[in-house]
Amino acid sequence: MKSFDLIIIGSGLAGLMAARTAVDRGARVLVVGRGLGGLTLFGNTIDVLGRLKGETDVAAGVENLARNCPGHPYARTGWEGIDRALQAFQTLFLPPDNFVGKRRENSLLPTGAGTMRPTFLFPITMAAGAEMIPAATLIVGFRGFKDFQADTVSLHLGCRGAVIPFPRYGLGGMTTSAVARMMEDSSFAERVGETIQQQMAGERFVGLPAVLGLRESASVMKALEAATGARVFEISLLPPSLPGMRIFERFREYLLERGAVFLLGKQAGEAIVKDGRCAGIVVPNAPLATEYYADRFILATGRFLGGGLLAKIDGIVEPLFHTPVVQPARRGEWFKGRFFDREAHPVHQAGIETDAALRPLSENGAVFLENLWVAGSILAHHQVIEEKSREGIDIATGFMAAERALSA
Amino acid sequence: MKSSFLSNPQAVLPYPRFADVCVRCANCMTICPVSRVTPAFPGPKQAGPGAQRFRSPAEVSVDDWITMCTGCMLCDTVCPAGVPISAMNLLAKAKYLNEQGRKVRDWALARSDLYGGAASRWAKIVNPLMKNTSIRNLLDNVGGIDRRRELPAYERQTFLQWFRSRPAAADIPGRRQVAYFYGCFVDTNEPDVGKAVVALLEKQGLAVSVPHQNCCGLPRLGIGDFYGAKEMGSSNIAALLPLVREGTAVVFSSTSCGLMLRHEYSRLLHLPGAEELAPRLFDICEFLLRLQEERKPGLTFKAVHMKVAYFAPCHLRALNIGLPALELLRLVPGLDVHLVDADCCGLGGLYGFKKENYPVAEAIGSDLAKAVARIKPEMVLTDCEGCRMQLRHLTGLPVIHPLQLINN
Repeated sequence: MKSFDLIIIGSGLAGLMAARTAVDRGARVLVVGRGLGGLTLFGNTIDVLGRLKGETDVAAGVENLARNCPGHPYARTGWEGIDRALQAFQTLFLPPDNFVGKRRENSLLPTGAGTMRPTFLFPITMAAGAEMIPAATLIVGFRGFKDFQADTVSLHLGCRGAVIPFPRYGLGGMTTSAVARMMEDSSFAERVGETIQQQMAGERFVGLPAVLGLRESASVMKALEAATGARVFEISLLPPSLPGMRIFERFREYLLERGAVFLLGKQAGEAIVKDGRCAGIVVPNAPLATEYYADRFILATGRFLGGGLLAKIDGIVEPLFHTPVVQPARRGEWFKGRFFDREAHPVHQAGIETDAALRPLSENGAVFLENLWVAGSILAHHQVIEEKSREGIDIATGFMAAERALSA
Repeated sequence: MKSSFLSNPQAVLPYPRFADVCVRCANCMTICPVSRVTPAFPGPKQAGPGAQRFRSPAEVSVDDWITMCTGCMLCDTVCPAGVPISAMNLLAKAKYLNEQGRKVRDWALARSDLYGGAASRWAKIVNPLMKNTSIRNLLDNVGGIDRRRELPAYERQTFLQWFRSRPAAADIPGRRQVAYFYGCFVDTNEPDVGKAVVALLEKQGLAVSVPHQNCCGLPRLGIGDFYGAKEMGSSNIAALLPLVREGTAVVFSSTSCGLMLRHEYSRLLHLPGAEELAPRLFDICEFLLRLQEERKPGLTFKAVHMKVAYFAPCHLRALNIGLPALELLRLVPGLDVHLVDADCCGLGGLYGFKKENYPVAEAIGSDLAKAVARIKPEMVLTDCEGCRMQLRHLTGLPVIHPLQLINN
């Protein structure tokens, strides 16, 4: 039967970061995903701590958060752990398709809803969005591309908006990946650029939906900049997120080159546990169920959407290892009275309690399984949505879990 | 040319209504090769679970675009919710074609196993005829088989004839037996693939047998002919099951035949015995890799000093076994192997031979051709005969099964 040094369950950003960290240390790694993982759902930019309480320095914000909330994943990693992990992440994305951001501060980027949101690192194709001046910006949408409404976005941002016809395409039915694919054709991108140029009235910035290519988005951006004479930036959209898919593809390419094995599509079905250790996992693909063995395991299966946590009538469970889940005492306490409360609903702080090394704990406080580590949003005591900390937690804990697992 | 008597009388199989399991994340929309190149196909999210809510056995199908699905199954591999999207599409396609009737061409293409033997026997006559312009024009205009698509040449001596003509190997008692499901295409068109498989297995000290076999039935299933597919499946199970019960492993070298045998016989066709057969069926590269892991020292391969590109077929991905061919190729000393960064070849088996699908197959293929060109290989390797045909058509490079290179 197949045997690995490390099996990572989950192919979102936390799992991929753990895998990358492990292959760099020479480990033989298996990644078991569920579908494509979470990156196409969330991953447009890298949030670390979007909600700061008075500070402007993200590092200071992280340290304050860790002090006030000692169970928080950032209390395990510290700012130093986040910083190291982010640097490791960034080495995967070399220019021209690199990530940028301020050294220790958040930047404000426009969204597809026409709002400005704080984020820490973002692809270079979004960089001009952080510097745009509304009065000097044109927001461009494509006729028939329903996922981006240039009129709404521009109205909210206080810019001018334009909807242009899309060469070669009829009305309707345009998908994000179809548009992105055509953008990679340089003659097509040039024509789009010329059409935009005709709509411009002296603007110096042009914002477009995040569809600038499936792979080499920086070169698409450059082509549009050459044709328009303006600085061009991408704006985050509804899922599927192409910037997220680019991150996924980059990780996959890197990992496959270094001999990691990927099983995407089927969720790990059960864990084979013996004497306080996990020996293996079973991956079903009807009518088969295949066993995979390893010395160490990392659980990075995300929350409810990713399948890492299951909300049952009488409580929240972690279905693979049956790791204890910290959660409100009763179901009636899962939600606050108001849906859009400033603070997270208690159900969203449920998750897995770990020791300082990210090993899950039993109810009695002992280590649950000696060769299991946990990474990503399945960890307890954070508020990823309200804090705007999803990718920071994923990257920092994925990195740390792999380091700890391999040094154990 | 349509004929109602060719319609499959069998009603669409009952399939659990999975439409509501879909979380609308649109991961499938990022990977669908068809909706990426044409707005005429609405993509797996709409065609599968979206349209499923409006489908009723009592009503006539209106989703004429459903025939544009190639059946690549990539959507299934990225779905985080476990929606059997490709199966939904296939059932909808079967219902649509049952109502509309199937073209004689579709029937004939899906039953190439019935005339492949004769075509091989008369290869000297058949092969030039298949290249004859007048005949190709006739096939194009009347038959609907696109004249720009090369028809695969037949080999004078089939794989089975070659296998039977070999001097009988000395029957060493206790030698581990392995049975080979070679598939129609290896038999009549690419016997060299089969010869490489036999040679490699024998080099490992295994006794290879070739059980009686029919077409796996996938081409029939591709046109929604469940009845025909079941007929093929039942006969193959009847032939293979006794071997498996004696402990013999069965290997396949075509990832599509293998997917059909291992998964669809039970998952879609619910054939008796299929579940018992499945755990003893192995992709040939997966099987060799297991030998490699079991044996110390492992297998050794002759050095090949060459730069090659390896392309992972869609149905290999649906098998969810990783990329065993790539792992094997990395064991070949001197070989500089690069994974092709593309999702689908576009041929879709018989799909790309059909005149109405040719432009879609070409557009999908053009992305693959570009990805291969970026690598600048001397040769391309891939496990699937359909992908090999398409890669030859697109690149003009030599294209072989990975084992043919390993067995050089």
